[in-house]
Amino acid sequence: MTDWRAAGGRAAVAARHGLIDRHDLVAALGRAAGKRVTVISAPAGSGKTSLLHAWAGRPGRDRPIAFMSVQRGQHDAQLFWLALLGAVRAATGGAGSPPAAPGFNGQAMVDKVRSELAACGGPLVLIIDDLHELSSAEAAGQLTSLLMSLPPGVHAIVATRRDPPLRLHQLRLAGELAEIRAAQLRFSEDEARGLLTAAGIALPDPVVALLHQRTEGWAAGLRLAALSLDGHPNPERFVAQFSGSDRTVAEYLMAELLDRQPPEVQRLLLRTSLLDRVNGELADLLTGGTGSERILLDLEDANAFVVSLDPARTWFRYHHMFSGLLRLELRRTLPEDIPELHRLAARWFADHAEIAGVAEAIRHQEAAGDWTEAARLLTDHALSLTLDGQAGTVAALLRSFPAQAGEDSPGLALVYAIADLDQLRLDQADAHLDVARAYAATATPDRQYRLQMAIASLELLSARLRGHFGGVFEQAGALPSAPAGQSNADVALGGDLRALALLNLGVTEAWSLRLADSERYLLEGAALARDIGRPYLEVACLAHLGFAAVGHSFPRARRHCEEAIAQAARHGWDAEPVIAPAQATLAGILIWTGEFDDGEQWLDRARRATQAGGEPGIQLLIHLISAILPAARGRHREALAEFVAAGQVQELMAGEHALTSRVASWTIATQARLGKTGQARATLAALDDRLATTGEIRNAAAVICLADRDPAGARRELRAVLDGSAATNPYLTLVEAHLLDALAWRDLGDERAARAAAEQALHLAEPDRLILPFAMTGAWELLTALPPQGTSHAALVADILDAVHGCGPGHAPAPGRAEELSPSELRVLRYLPTNLTRPEIAGELSVSLNTVNTHIRRIYAKLGATDRFSAVQRGRELRLLSSGRA
Amino acid sequence: MGDDPVLYQFRVNGHLGPILLTAFPALVSRQQGTETVLTGLVPDAAALYGVLAEIEALGLDLLEVRKIRPEPADPGEIPQP
Repeated sequence: MTDWRAAGGRAAVAARHGLIDRHDLVAALGRAAGKRVTVISAPAGSGKTSLLHAWAGRPGRDRPIAFMSVQRGQHDAQLFWLALLGAVRAATGGAGSPPAAPGFNGQAMVDKVRSELAACGGPLVLIIDDLHELSSAEAAGQLTSLLMSLPPGVHAIVATRRDPPLRLHQLRLAGELAEIRAAQLRFSEDEARGLLTAAGIALPDPVVALLHQRTEGWAAGLRLAALSLDGHPNPERFVAQFSGSDRTVAEYLMAELLDRQPPEVQRLLLRTSLLDRVNGELADLLTGGTGSERILLDLEDANAFVVSLDPARTWFRYHHMFSGLLRLELRRTLPEDIPELHRLAARWFADHAEIAGVAEAIRHQEAAGDWTEAARLLTDHALSLTLDGQAGTVAALLRSFPAQAGEDSPGLALVYAIADLDQLRLDQADAHLDVARAYAATATPDRQYRLQMAIASLELLSARLRGHFGGVFEQAGALPSAPAGQSNADVALGGDLRALALLNLGVTEAWSLRLADSERYLLEGAALARDIGRPYLEVACLAHLGFAAVGHSFPRARRHCEEAIAQAARHGWDAEPVIAPAQATLAGILIWTGEFDDGEQWLDRARRATQAGGEPGIQLLIHLISAILPAARGRHREALAEFVAAGQVQELMAGEHALTSRVASWTIATQARLGKTGQARATLAALDDRLATTGEIRNAAAVICLADRDPAGARRELRAVLDGSAATNPYLTLVEAHLLDALAWRDLGDERAARAAAEQALHLAEPDRLILPFAMTGAWELLTALPPQGTSHAALVADILDAVHGCGPGHAPAPGRAEELSPSELRVLRYLPTNLTRPEIAGELSVSLNTVNTHIRRIYAKLGATDRFSAVQRGRELRLLSSGRA
Repeated sequence: MGDDPVLYQFRVNGHLGPILLTAFPALVSRQQGTETVLTGLVPDAAALYGVLAEIEALGLDLLEVRKIRPEPADPGEIPQP
């Protein structure tokens, strides 16, 4: 009887994976790999994986190889692609693959993989094994797209058990597709002899021929036979009996093999066969013994269809066919033990969720028929799994429950709600959340916190997706607080839920204009997400911080946006919807401060990231910013189209929110500017009373009056805004109001009053360099008439006029790099466009006159300027005057 | 397929021993020469593809799949599992 532990290494290592003797086949694969794509399509046990390993490991191989094996039952397209990306990066020496995220842009991922493949410069081979395990149609389509457009020098080899659903006809027509099928993978008689020889088995030729004939050259059959023949007392009789039997090859040889094992090995193989993967500890648990790890290692060494999954050889997997037969044998001989084995496995996986993941635990509970436990585990972890990008897995687990599971385990309603929200079935999600809420009220205290936190998050998410920012959290108030004495696992789980809740709370608060609260929640959420290692949530929180801050500090908002965008780029999410709020907000800030071209670029990026739709809030924001850009350039018709589109999105959103008054106001104002005063008045009249009294709407009414040549009427409308009695955004609206006032004065013929009003606007706009209102209202015309000494904001005026005339910063090409100015030099430079003398500048900066003189000398030198005027010119060209106050 | 269970026959190469037969609890097996014929009621398409997937997974050599036209009510003809 062959004892694996005795037979050990020997020639078995040499024969591992049957690598030794198939030179012709390896050469054939080498030739095939000259084509762009090679598909190896053959049934289980044909030797595909062995061939791939042999070819990849051959001496003299010249190209880097990215090797990946599709995980068993892979439902999640994103996880497939992340594994592929990881393999590519491992081959090209790049960083590891980015973390998974709830959202997934398949097209962007394909583009990213393609560009990384192209970037590695040289040739490369991408090998994908077990493609038949990919059960995501979405991913199959994306893979087809990649394979059809591989960069030059990149070849792909795909191994699968059945012909793949990849439409590669065009490659075939172009002669760029090679195939290797079962017939080619069959062992020839010579190769069969080689396999046996390498395993140390010497048989006369006729016996080898008989064996070869019986197995029909099937690789798995030959390997199984070799395992049984190794150390067999009477090999020829074995072959004769085997040949004489009509039983299928796999079953006959497997039964033989199992029979000849020592009892503890048999016990281990059978009892662990129901696992997808096994390690020593788990095996000990299921066998009730010890020393399982040694047995597994020896089995692998003997090439007995056991493969280790990690370099440290702690986790193992059985060849799928092998475990299938073992599982059947287990069912035949020990059926009553099976549920308990699943339960033991489930408990181990649940206890080791951090390293093993909880999906396996749930699968085993389902297999054991412990639906209640499985439901509870799934309910508790569904949100985390979704955050891990495993929405597909969650859906698959949910489908496995029997029909009445929903009644027995009402907690599952939460999982259904998560799946619904993922697929934007909002009404169904709300209904499920109602059921979940009722259930949570009856749950045990230790679970209640988690459930309520999850429900709170999902309610907020639902509100975001509907754009209902009104009274969501009025009644609920603060989030539930964590109970004392939580286990580590609870804390980890709670962290996910809390971070998500903070994110959604922060976003809804921002839209409800509770900006201070919003910033607080988002900052807390980002910090927590960073602590618990959830980069996606961190980026999501940061992406909205800019939007929340834009109401009171442009520089701070801009910093938040830039930080969010940098973080997203670090993880490869720069084209994902998650970062769109930051991109859009940044675009808005840039446009508000006169950097129209840069703003347009960011707006384009935000639009591309949300191509596939998205939350109504973001869509609204993007339409709004898409409107103010043409408005600033005087293209009112284009602007109106976007304002109207924004209004349409607004119709879908319930209640008022942060941008309601602005959208309404600018729509009306643009209608008026286009001469459609009747329409404008109608729109105005249709607004509800509360909205009509806001500063933004008063401004719009003033624009109508100006268009109707009623400047006195305009001034009347503006009074409430200017004296601060109207509800309004503190300064953006006020700047606009002063400018409209200035226009009204001009129409009334009072140039001095007009200039004074404009000066007021400049004064308010200076700290953050607000240029947009000057452009949108057309009040910039008033500035051209200003005498040079007539304003203490000459730099700002110059910038405004530049922006309006389309030669703003960034528009003209920089005529060559100047040496970098220091911060103090920059500070002085900002005063040069003003009419302050050098002593006055020194006074402003609280430094000595000598210091100012030195700075100015250096500024002239670095900018290649000869006087104050040319220094200012140069400074503007190099965008040194456009940084605003930090 | 309609909604009623249909009688299917699956023919594979080789004899299925006791281990493999546990993979097809809903089918009855009969050896025919060196081949095995599995017969049984298959409730719907999903079940049909389930059987085919199992045959594939076990590396069996599938020779034939046949739908048996239902004979008008002669229970003696239909093998019982």
